[in-house]
Amino acid sequence: MNRLVSTLVFSAVISSAALCAAQATVGQTAPAFSATDTTGKSVSLADFKGKYVVLEWTNPGCPFVQKHYDSGNMPATQKDAVAKGAVWLALNTTAKDAGDYMAPAALQTWMQSKNGVPTATLMDADGKVGRAYGARTTPHMYIVDPQGKLVYAGAIDSKPTANPADIKTATNHVTAALGEAMGGKPVTRATTQAYGCSIKYSNAG
Amino acid sequence: MTHALIGFAERAARPLRNVVVLLLVLPSLAVAQTSIVTTPHVRAELLAHAPQGVGAGKPVWLGLSLRHAPHWHTYWKNPGDSGLPTTLVWKLPEGISTGEIQWPTPKQLKLGPLMNYGYEDTLLLTVPVTVAAGFSAPTVAVKLRAEWLVCKDVCIPESGEFTLAVPTAAATAAHADLFSAADARVPKLLAQATAKSRVDGQALLVEVDGLQAELTGKTLAFFPETGGVIEPAAPVVQSWQGSRWSARVPLSAQRSESPSAMAAVLVDGAAAGIQVRFDIAGPWPTGAPVAGAAPAIAPASATTAPAVPASSDTTASPSSSSASSSSLWLTLALALAGGVLLNLMPCVFPVLSLKLLSLAQPDKRRADRIGAGFAYTAGVVASFVALAGLLMALRAGGEQLGWGFQLQSPTFVAALALLFTLIGLNLAGLFELRLVLPGNLAAARARHPLVDHALTGALAVAVASPCTGPFMGVALGSALTLPVPQALAVFGVLGFGMALPYLLIAALPGMARRLPRPGAWMLRFKAAMAFPMFATVIWLLWVLGQQIGNDGATALLALLLATAFVGWAVGEPAGGTVGAADSAGRSRKLGMVLAAAVWMATAAWAWPALREPASGNAATATATSAPTTDVRWLPWSPDAVAVARAQGRPVFVDFTAAWCVSCQFNKRGALADPSVLADFSAQNVLLLRADWTRRDAAITAALASLGRSGVPVYALYPPRAGSPVLLPEFLRAETVRQAIAAMQTGA
Repeated sequence: MNRLVSTLVFSAVISSAALCAAQATVGQTAPAFSATDTTGKSVSLADFKGKYVVLEWTNPGCPFVQKHYDSGNMPATQKDAVAKGAVWLALNTTAKDAGDYMAPAALQTWMQSKNGVPTATLMDADGKVGRAYGARTTPHMYIVDPQGKLVYAGAIDSKPTANPADIKTATNHVTAALGEAMGGKPVTRATTQAYGCSIKYSNAG
Repeated sequence: MTHALIGFAERAARPLRNVVVLLLVLPSLAVAQTSIVTTPHVRAELLAHAPQGVGAGKPVWLGLSLRHAPHWHTYWKNPGDSGLPTTLVWKLPEGISTGEIQWPTPKQLKLGPLMNYGYEDTLLLTVPVTVAAGFSAPTVAVKLRAEWLVCKDVCIPESGEFTLAVPTAAATAAHADLFSAADARVPKLLAQATAKSRVDGQALLVEVDGLQAELTGKTLAFFPETGGVIEPAAPVVQSWQGSRWSARVPLSAQRSESPSAMAAVLVDGAAAGIQVRFDIAGPWPTGAPVAGAAPAIAPASATTAPAVPASSDTTASPSSSSASSSSLWLTLALALAGGVLLNLMPCVFPVLSLKLLSLAQPDKRRADRIGAGFAYTAGVVASFVALAGLLMALRAGGEQLGWGFQLQSPTFVAALALLFTLIGLNLAGLFELRLVLPGNLAAARARHPLVDHALTGALAVAVASPCTGPFMGVALGSALTLPVPQALAVFGVLGFGMALPYLLIAALPGMARRLPRPGAWMLRFKAAMAFPMFATVIWLLWVLGQQIGNDGATALLALLLATAFVGWAVGEPAGGTVGAADSAGRSRKLGMVLAAAVWMATAAWAWPALREPASGNAATATATSAPTTDVRWLPWSPDAVAVARAQGRPVFVDFTAAWCVSCQFNKRGALADPSVLADFSAQNVLLLRADWTRRDAAITAALASLGRSGVPVYALYPPRAGSPVLLPEFLRAETVRQAIAAMQTGA
């Protein structure tokens, strides 16, 4: 009897299926997500399997986001990444009740007025995607590789200031990481400390 | 300016909000030629303090005073999850130089799930000034460019240019009180305090000795001076052993720095914190860390430092998590004690007691008994280590699991119910398994009694593993975050503790003789032991009902009945003769075929109801079916905790699961006690229940951030930014009431 039941018990332990929890850590699988873009279309991370995907947390009301858009740095980084074959998803996690929340159409207009060229601009007002990735600031940048693994998490560049003049002398971490990863090299600075405005998370999320 | 004007024209057509934001930014562009810069959020002023005039060797200080508008804040040297520290760039005459900013002790500023370190109200950032020996001039012309990020809901980067002429000969002491107040807020480095730390999985273990006696027992907030290392919003699990403060500080899942030494400020609520510096013994984890050890963003409920309440009743409980290598021994001792206690679990006791009685057989030789004792011990220890290894392997693979994880699977619960039913029926005498097993297998068992004893050990572990007994929760929780060899050692010791009573009785001469003499009463006793087994089945059915509802529980009941029928048909009743007549044998065979057919039909019917439903609808299923008829308790979520605390309400969280026996005991005992409930409502405590009956990644993460891996866990969060207090796993009404009272006096 003992043998019988112990076999039974242990096979039950092993066969018990498990749920995979989302947690963004460099070197691990990036959390899957679906969100609606500014035109109302549903976009999933899974849609872009096989491609590099850059995630950019943004909020037009944030001076640090303005630093990188008004100077043209963020649009240029987007253009460069998209030209290399990467997908660029901008996400706005700002809660609906926050002072600087922007409705989808307004966000779309803002992005176009800044000559931004993300593949899609996604609404995440309930904060689900932001929480899954542990996004803290705007901007906060992530790169997912073609296998779905997170290869970069952190700041847009190496100078944590609100001063646009610092962009020239800063190292663009996203461009550097994307270049290294696409070149088959390990990413030198795979995790950096993001800087910027706090993300105003929804309390309901 | 032109750029700003164009910007203004461009934005004028935008919603009013943007115009307001722009207007807020504009003043910061203005260049001040004075010692005062005023923006809508900050009044900044350059101040000097030279009570003996300016000269070599005399005390000379400069400072930037920042007076924030209500609810606006600027940041500490490590701003936390977001923000930027204020920067000061000085332009001073030859011979005058400044030192580092003397940052006053910061505050924790929570924003949703994020945590910042900074200042509200008024602040004076001071720098010491060194004057060269030959310096001579009637006045010192001080120029400062300061940049600060001031935030409320929105963040505004601001800057100011300041000038100030400080006389050399005359004293400058108009702001002496401000400078001395600022100095009183600067963290102090204690000469006698020593600190050390090491990286342990996804946490930094910090130990500080030599803190002031009056701090002992207090909950300390931990402010790291280095950013990008720890998770600012995750709670710091801390404990006091005498005058030693130990803390387990969760590392950030997106850690960008790997320093070999760090400084941190410990704050107990006084104006000035204590600065501690420590080397960090690595290695830092590389690559993928163990999932669940550090949530990417800790639940919003998290602030710093769950602490053990100081009452004598609770300090005796093992709530203080093992936070250092020296306390590995404590963990091992707790594991040993917990293992011994497992023998008393209702599901384990029958198996064990019968095993013990078999030792009393008069024909047993002592050598056999000793062999049996060690074989059983080996079986128990090996099974514990195997189960722990499996759990750790799954966790390393990214599963969000904790101890008791097996019971989150309805399939496993159903299998256990089947197992216990079979054991119960066997004990009750419905059938003898000797006859069920193929002849050669039974013979093999008789030939290898040691293997048999070892397998009994494995069975005991299988039935005991779900019962997170007293003492075990803490030991297991810390074990899962220890390095693998140490964690396996903890589980091994746990198994050894469980096997210990049997081993002692088997091995010590004379012990076996004290056991009651075998006789007919043993059959009665054996049958009596069937009842705790069936009681366990009732409990498992209830758990399954929680997980997959009434249909699932009914399906399992049908399957249990079919199984009992098979047991009756296939097995021989106890005491029945083996060599029955051929005709009886034929009808028995027919019965077996019939029973097998019935069982398979029932299993086919029951299976769909017993499978694990998709995790997506799990939460709703639990929420609707769980017997939370008690309206006082609301379902837990990190945000519910954060929102209530932000509104100034304390929060009590009951981390529970239907399959957790001690949870149910506490729920119906201390937590239902009228005096406790009265205290809760008197303090307007929000009662939340986190139900871990089914897998729930958010709850697993919350448990991990509290330093635990299983339930029960009871956390009492004071309103706003204080630290959660963890209560013992076996709750007494008095303990809960004391914790509520302590929070009240501490607030």
